[in-house]
Amino acid sequence: MRKMIVVAVREYLAAVKSKAFLVSLIAMPVIWGGSIVVQMALRNKVDTKDKRIAILDYTNQLYDAVATAAQTRNEKDIFEGDGPTRKQIKPRFLVQRVEPTGVDQAQARFDLSERVRKADSEDIMAFVIIGPEVIKPGVDPARAAIDYHSNSPTYDDIQDWVAAPLNERIQKLRLQEANLDAGIVEAATRRTPVANLGLVTRDAAGNITKAEQTNEIANVFVPLGLMMLMLMVVMVGASPLVQSVLEEKTLRIAEVLLGSVPPFQLMMGKLLGMVGVSLTIVTVYLVGAFYAIHQAGYGSFFPAHVVWWFVVFQALAVIMYGSLFIAVGAAVSDMKEAQSLITPVMVLAVSPMFVWINIVREPTSSFALAMSLIPPATPMLMTIRQAVPPGIPTWQPLLGILLVLLTTIACVFAAGRIFRVGILMQGKGAKIGEMMRWVFRG
Amino acid sequence: MVEWDMNVVEIDNVTKTFGQFTAVNALSLAVPRGSIYGFIGPNGSGKTTTLRMIMRIYHPDPGPGRIRVLGGTKQTAADDRVGYLPEERGLYKKMKVRDILRFYAELKGCRDFKDRVNSWLERMGLSEWADKKVEALSKGMAQKVQFISAVIAGPELVILDEPFTGLDPVNADVLRDAVLDLRKSGSTVIFSTHDMSVAERMCDLIFMIYKGNKVLDGTLESIQDRYGTDTLRVKVEGNGFDPRTIPGVEKVTDFGKLQELRISKSTDSQDVLAALMEFGRVTHFELARPSLHDIFVRIARPEATDAVAPSQEIVHA
Repeated sequence: MRKMIVVAVREYLAAVKSKAFLVSLIAMPVIWGGSIVVQMALRNKVDTKDKRIAILDYTNQLYDAVATAAQTRNEKDIFEGDGPTRKQIKPRFLVQRVEPTGVDQAQARFDLSERVRKADSEDIMAFVIIGPEVIKPGVDPARAAIDYHSNSPTYDDIQDWVAAPLNERIQKLRLQEANLDAGIVEAATRRTPVANLGLVTRDAAGNITKAEQTNEIANVFVPLGLMMLMLMVVMVGASPLVQSVLEEKTLRIAEVLLGSVPPFQLMMGKLLGMVGVSLTIVTVYLVGAFYAIHQAGYGSFFPAHVVWWFVVFQALAVIMYGSLFIAVGAAVSDMKEAQSLITPVMVLAVSPMFVWINIVREPTSSFALAMSLIPPATPMLMTIRQAVPPGIPTWQPLLGILLVLLTTIACVFAAGRIFRVGILMQGKGAKIGEMMRWVFRG
Repeated sequence: MVEWDMNVVEIDNVTKTFGQFTAVNALSLAVPRGSIYGFIGPNGSGKTTTLRMIMRIYHPDPGPGRIRVLGGTKQTAADDRVGYLPEERGLYKKMKVRDILRFYAELKGCRDFKDRVNSWLERMGLSEWADKKVEALSKGMAQKVQFISAVIAGPELVILDEPFTGLDPVNADVLRDAVLDLRKSGSTVIFSTHDMSVAERMCDLIFMIYKGNKVLDGTLESIQDRYGTDTLRVKVEGNGFDPRTIPGVEKVTDFGKLQELRISKSTDSQDVLAALMEFGRVTHFELARPSLHDIFVRIARPEATDAVAPSQEIVHA
């Protein structure tokens, strides 16, 4: 035990003192935070050059609605700020009417398309064809269609915008035709939203409290965040573990060490050191997240009741996966060889990602229970299930911990046997079959 | 238990095979407490395998053989009473010298490591390097640090696999003195070496292994006595001198001024002298004690490959 701790302390210090650790500790929030900041900064960085649109209105009743809406928009909706700081952040939409001439509709579409194709910045970049029977559709659906044509299929702002004034006007005209009052119809057909609430409780004074509004975003993102953190810590730990075993192998430190500490204790020391490193990372991020959430005023969403479970599951996940990474390090002779063996372990580690959304939506279903009791997935999935209100019965995470512990012991035992033989092997890496033989024959 | 007080290591009839290859064959040896015990033998003859078996890094093949170290038959390599410097050795590059020595001392359960580390560093001329990282050390310096890490905890038994290889003469002397001092302070030292003069000068007992078999085991004197009686250096004045015609002479090496004769075991050197005198005036007649180097070469040279019969060649102390 003493030797294990001496090894663990060395491994911990070697990992934490390295520059790579600091870089990876800072890099993740910087990359995540940075991408959000960049997106925020670039949100309004759109081209504000005027966009001209031709409207060919075969009904002769709808163009005005679009023109009025465009004018209102160009005066009010495309600016940010007030007074001297007022700044245009969106392009103006300039609509122009195209009179239906004698030519047939297909020819008209072609002529307008040719104008767009010229890509003249002073001319139209898109056009809208409003079919003659849009207001009162007949038997031919083509005559009752509104078509938006452009040569920039990914820019859909105009298409989205133009639909509203057109439909509003069409609806109004149809109601008039039917002699219905638009106000009454609007009131009669208004949709009523369904509020998503938690359960009602009784407070200390015996009064029944109001139910809290459920925050769907928090209920999904908190479990997701915890799962990602756990996965990241396991992954961050993988490479230092493999490298430290490889270093001892290639620099021939292993044999010196084995004269002082039994292989199993050496391996366990490494794992405990790694658990220390992972808990350091987790502490830094959780404290950071706690502070950030409180600062943002969402303190009640911090999953304080799950944190201790999370820490336990995180430690178990690190030992379970870490033992496999150590076995990989002991079995191979260089980092390149290690990569091909790390990949299957990584796939196992990320497998909970495939089902997490089902688990978040129905954390108490028997599917969720079954998935979360498969040991390699237990740490992440059980944490998710606990993080979604109202949580799960305590026996489930306890059973999960028991199963993970048993699996971990099996992994550590197998890894220990591979480690014992592999650590002294030089030159070539071991094949899977060879490793299996070491595990079963000792 | 008296026996175990005398012998720190006892190996009895131990065999180790790797697949079809027999690395060590029915080996027996005993290392008395307080001695310096030298392992010699050509590359690949089984020295490191034997040392690793003493360390319990390798376990012998199943069978009647047994290995006892410091009176125990533990199954693990880790023993706080044993210091081990393997042939393949390295240090953590990014660690400081002092931290590494402290790490090994703590692993061995040594608590008063501070003074020990300082005194060893001073002794090895490494005090200035105590707070430098290992990657800054020269090969020789790193080797000295490795040596300190093996002995920092004051072990009862020190096992050094080729400790002097790669050192310059000055550093080799420093290390040799350190080994001699270890014995003075009560430790037993086993080391392997390719340097026969080092083995001759330092070892109380010399053990040679060849192709997995023990071929020599005893004090230098006993080994030389065993091989020394069959070598004569002679100078004879006279024409037509051909010592090969003398009965019992197996081999003649002409050194110009002198001729070296090897005689068969049953031949009396006095009979050879009498025969030599018949050729002419004998101006030099010496019963030579071969150096350890000569003995080594005689056993390990290619033509001896098949001639080695362990039961005949072994010289017991």
